[in-house]
Amino acid sequence: MNKENAIEVRDVKKTFKVYYDKGTQLKEKLLFWNRNKYERREVLKGISFDVKKGEVVGLIGHNGCGKSTTLKLLTRIIYPDSGSVEMKGRVSSLIELGAGFHPDMSGRENIYTNASIFGLSRKEIDSRIQDIIDFSEIEEFIDNPVRTYSSGMYMRLAFSVAINVDADILLIDEILGVGDAGFQTKCFNKLREIKQQGTTIVIVSHAMGQIEQICDRSIWIHEGLIKADGTPREVHPLYMDYMIEERKRIEEKELKKKRESGEIFEEDLVEENNGAANNMRWGNFYSKFKKVQLFDKEDKEITSFSTGDSVRIHAEYECRKTITDMVFGFGIYTLDDVWVYGSNTMIDRGENFVVEKDGSFDVILKDVPIMPGKYRIDVSLESASAVTVDFWRDTLDFTVYSIIDDRGIFRIEHDWKTQA
Amino acid sequence: MIQTFKEIYDYREMIFSLVRKELRGRYKGSALGFMWTFINPLLQLMVYTVVFSVIMKAGIDKYYIFLFVALVPWMFFSSALTGGASCIMASQDMVKKIYFPREVLPIAYITSGFVNMLLTFLVVFAVLIISGFGINPVALLFMPIIMIIEYLLAIGIAFLASALSVYFRDLQYILSIISMAWQFLTPVMYSQEMVEKQLAHHPMLLRLWNLNPTTPMINAYRDILYYQRIPELKTLIAAIIMGVVVLLVGLIVFGKLKRGFAEQF
Repeated sequence: MNKENAIEVRDVKKTFKVYYDKGTQLKEKLLFWNRNKYERREVLKGISFDVKKGEVVGLIGHNGCGKSTTLKLLTRIIYPDSGSVEMKGRVSSLIELGAGFHPDMSGRENIYTNASIFGLSRKEIDSRIQDIIDFSEIEEFIDNPVRTYSSGMYMRLAFSVAINVDADILLIDEILGVGDAGFQTKCFNKLREIKQQGTTIVIVSHAMGQIEQICDRSIWIHEGLIKADGTPREVHPLYMDYMIEERKRIEEKELKKKRESGEIFEEDLVEENNGAANNMRWGNFYSKFKKVQLFDKEDKEITSFSTGDSVRIHAEYECRKTITDMVFGFGIYTLDDVWVYGSNTMIDRGENFVVEKDGSFDVILKDVPIMPGKYRIDVSLESASAVTVDFWRDTLDFTVYSIIDDRGIFRIEHDWKTQA
Repeated sequence: MIQTFKEIYDYREMIFSLVRKELRGRYKGSALGFMWTFINPLLQLMVYTVVFSVIMKAGIDKYYIFLFVALVPWMFFSSALTGGASCIMASQDMVKKIYFPREVLPIAYITSGFVNMLLTFLVVFAVLIISGFGINPVALLFMPIIMIIEYLLAIGIAFLASALSVYFRDLQYILSIISMAWQFLTPVMYSQEMVEKQLAHHPMLLRLWNLNPTTPMINAYRDILYYQRIPELKTLIAAIIMGVVVLLVGLIVFGKLKRGFAEQF
């Protein structure tokens, strides 16, 4: 093992047997030994990486990609089928918090039990106990039985023990969700402090922001292999792009399925629907929307896009009775009915149209700056004299993604000038 | 193997705290609490006394003492077999999610049973003295040796039973029957002499019968406490060898099987 390394993983492969109908009873094992049909699921297909001492590494990837399995292998809960995992120093994991807590024993006694599971001797626990109690912020209840604690107190105590073990290697699986916001900040600061002390840390998380804040390096695991390895700044955009593509693919598939089963564009919404019975759509229906779609720049139908992309709303309608002063309009709302934006041809260009036959209109939305979230589109056909022809709320949902972790409703283009 | 011993030693505090938890948790919530550790064997002894000195007279003098000095260590041993079998499964949440040397679990389980047996022996001694049966202090010096041997034997058995039970869940139920049969094959309710007399003309069978690792151990307890004599060297050596062999086999089997524990739950 290289002296500079804290962890060395070499060509690790792991396959799980997924039993269709597992017999663990002796009888079943003996009688139906050939019935234990299972499927081999190769979770890790040969992973190698080194982690240097003091390095903080984030493991990212979509669900089921093998990142948690990797972490379990590092913890030595499970072992690889082939390849090797070597670690140097004491390992602590924030995977199972509060392992071995006994509800009837006091907080203090449970600290001893729990810390002993991390391999601490009595002397080592004695020297840490005050730090642990201070960190957990439950000083006054520390001698009460743990069953009287709130779940927040319970988790705080458990976290305090795990993080005060003074491990050489700390393994974390999505834990920064402990307690209230104040305590979370404290945990995060404690992690930074631990990092400063030179502890090697491996984190599995979906929160890219958190990883970016604390990790020196990100490893993207994809289908059991390492797909990218580098600084979070290099790896995360690649990962986010992939995730957006993936999401699009899934949604398009769903869309197709829905369309095939005729769920989406019902040819004829029943006329009686106008009014109170269905306040999603109303009007005199002299003209009627047939379908509304969203396209990206390449004219591909989409249901999601990234903040800043340009998109096009395309609406087709059929004409039943001539209208001489038709105004086309659209609106964008958040799911909780905040009106993000809306306009129509009258407002924008003072225009109205004679509609005598079926037709369509397009609205091109340039560099849409709205922030990540789900939105819906309304479209409208109205006469200039404000008679509603077809007002269709909620015709279409779309989702906006972003790789940047800024906040708010709109992205305001900005620059920084600092004099620090 | 040495690595394993070192690691178990590093985790000694975990063993202690598990034992504490087990002992304190056992009678939690009952009115008499920890006193049950003493009351329970005392009541059992009273039942045996009534049954065997009034209802069913055995041909052995002070049969209730004869029985009881063997039954106390036997109960510890049989709990190693039946209870020890489920000790990994009982802690599966920990096994699934956290690393520690898995040997710690059976060791802690057996240790708490052992402490319990020591406390029960306090009752036995009290009865021996108060009833006027008496104690031979010189023979008593051999007590710790035989207790340590039983402790190691029990750990070995618990290693085997707990590790195998993870893979074959039925084993824990099978073991309670095995434990009963094993008790009848060990001179707990009868004496070694009775067997030797019965099998006098079948030397092969007798040798086979003597291979039972619990036989020399129980005989040694009875020598010390009932016959009040120093156990024969032959008995002691047989007990030591068998205890160590079972422990080593248990340790090796456990070491092989423990890597897959987490995937079995």
